[in-house]
Amino acid sequence: MDKTVDRLTHQMELKNVSKEYGQTEDPIPAIQDVSFNLHRGEFACIVGPSGCGKSTLLKMAAGLDKPTSGEILFCGEPVIGPHPKISMVFQSFALFPWRTVTGNVEYGLEVQGVPKAERLDSVEKYLEMVGLAGYAHLYPKQLSGGMKQRVGMARALAVDPEVILMDEAFSAIDEFTAETLREEVADIHADTEKTFVLVTHNLVEAVELADKIIVLSTRPARVKKILDVDLERPRDKTRPEFVDAHKSIFALLKEELETTLVRRRISRVPEFQRLTDIEAQS
Amino acid sequence: MAVERYLWLASLAAIFLIWEGSVRLGAVPESRLPSFTATVLTLASSLHDAGFIMRVAQSFLNLTSGIFLALAVAMPLALLAGLRNRFDTTMTPLIMLAGALPDIALLPILVLWIGPGNAAAISIAAFSAFFPIYFTIREGTQDISKDLFHVAAVFNTSRADTFRKLILPAISPQLFTGLRLAYDFVWEIVLAIEIFSGVTGIGLYISKAVEAGDVAEAFAAILAVGMMAILVDRLVFGRAERWIRRWID
Repeated sequence: MDKTVDRLTHQMELKNVSKEYGQTEDPIPAIQDVSFNLHRGEFACIVGPSGCGKSTLLKMAAGLDKPTSGEILFCGEPVIGPHPKISMVFQSFALFPWRTVTGNVEYGLEVQGVPKAERLDSVEKYLEMVGLAGYAHLYPKQLSGGMKQRVGMARALAVDPEVILMDEAFSAIDEFTAETLREEVADIHADTEKTFVLVTHNLVEAVELADKIIVLSTRPARVKKILDVDLERPRDKTRPEFVDAHKSIFALLKEELETTLVRRRISRVPEFQRLTDIEAQS
Repeated sequence: MAVERYLWLASLAAIFLIWEGSVRLGAVPESRLPSFTATVLTLASSLHDAGFIMRVAQSFLNLTSGIFLALAVAMPLALLAGLRNRFDTTMTPLIMLAGALPDIALLPILVLWIGPGNAAAISIAAFSAFFPIYFTIREGTQDISKDLFHVAAVFNTSRADTFRKLILPAISPQLFTGLRLAYDFVWEIVLAIEIFSGVTGIGLYISKAVEAGDVAEAFAAILAVGMMAILVDRLVFGRAERWIRRWID
């Protein structure tokens, strides 16, 4: 933990964020009253059961979607749309297939109107950082999944963001490559002042990378618990502290899933159903 | 790789050889089908004829204008249909209905409305080019991954840039397929309207040559049309195809 995290100011704040889908008369709640803060330079992981709304939460932080109620602040200002200092990495890599590696990495700068020479300098720097120097002229179809995600990382970094949002960034890559990528992301995090938010369902990954883990409940997503992970970096997965941290989060999620299952099962018992019907009528 | 690119020339040569051989060996009477060499010689002398060149150019101009007109109308509609579900569900069935109309049967009606002339030729060309262009662009637009739009949004891409840097390249494979299909359909319909209603062009030239019993001249004209089609295909679509093949999965 040689890196100083500014614990005084909140860089990103989520205040009672809720998201509902469907008609206004009969909305389907997806996210309910989620609040948490991120410090500058912090690595946060959002974990939760699959389909709980983690990715929706991340999209709202990116300004791609709006909360139904509550607000998201970045440096004290409400996020009302995409912000130049907030960047994103996608599970599907989402590279433009008709652009070369260079073309993809420079995209953000290009639409900002940065001159070509300057863009190419950045491209070179970030391709170097993600270990893709020498692949600049290739098209995405010529790259492996891991390499594609490196391009996705370089593209996100190239606009020099303060916050990098990662949506299941390592889930579509084979485990061996994903592990190397995680280590590199940890290095980039250690070497820069950037804040990372990773949505994942991989708890080992979360413990490996996070300063803070936000555990969400089943749908509608609420904050079940926020845990600080105070383990020495680089983290060794075999150390007892690591194993303990992983176990405790696993237990939390297991409990969450079981209570949901019990709730669902009970609601199928006829007597219980009748009771709830009576309750609903009164 | 370089050899493969010119392989089509070999198959073309084979066809010409069979043509030449079957006439020379007397399998087909020369009054019905002139030999390949005779056709080429007639074509060579026709190329000195300003009238012939004018007619080929006229047909080609009508056809190209029709395709561009169709593209100009179909593109915005197809993009809307591809991006907005509601527009798609209201408009596309109507367009399918219109597309099911046989364009050859529409010819006499069109000529009745706007008279026999280039305007009629361009209109019918645009009509028959519209459908392949509309449906291919619509499909291409629907196929664009949502995440690519998210990327564009995250980097604050303007509307104009979203069109130029995302939508246009993303639909380009389907767009070129559509244009290629349209180009094939339209040659036929343009020649048909010329023959049917006497619009000046290479179609009328062919029909008059046959009536006059000059089969070699008719075949020379047909050969010219074929050459022209191959030329455009190689120069325009071949180039686009090579670019697309470089990056498409």
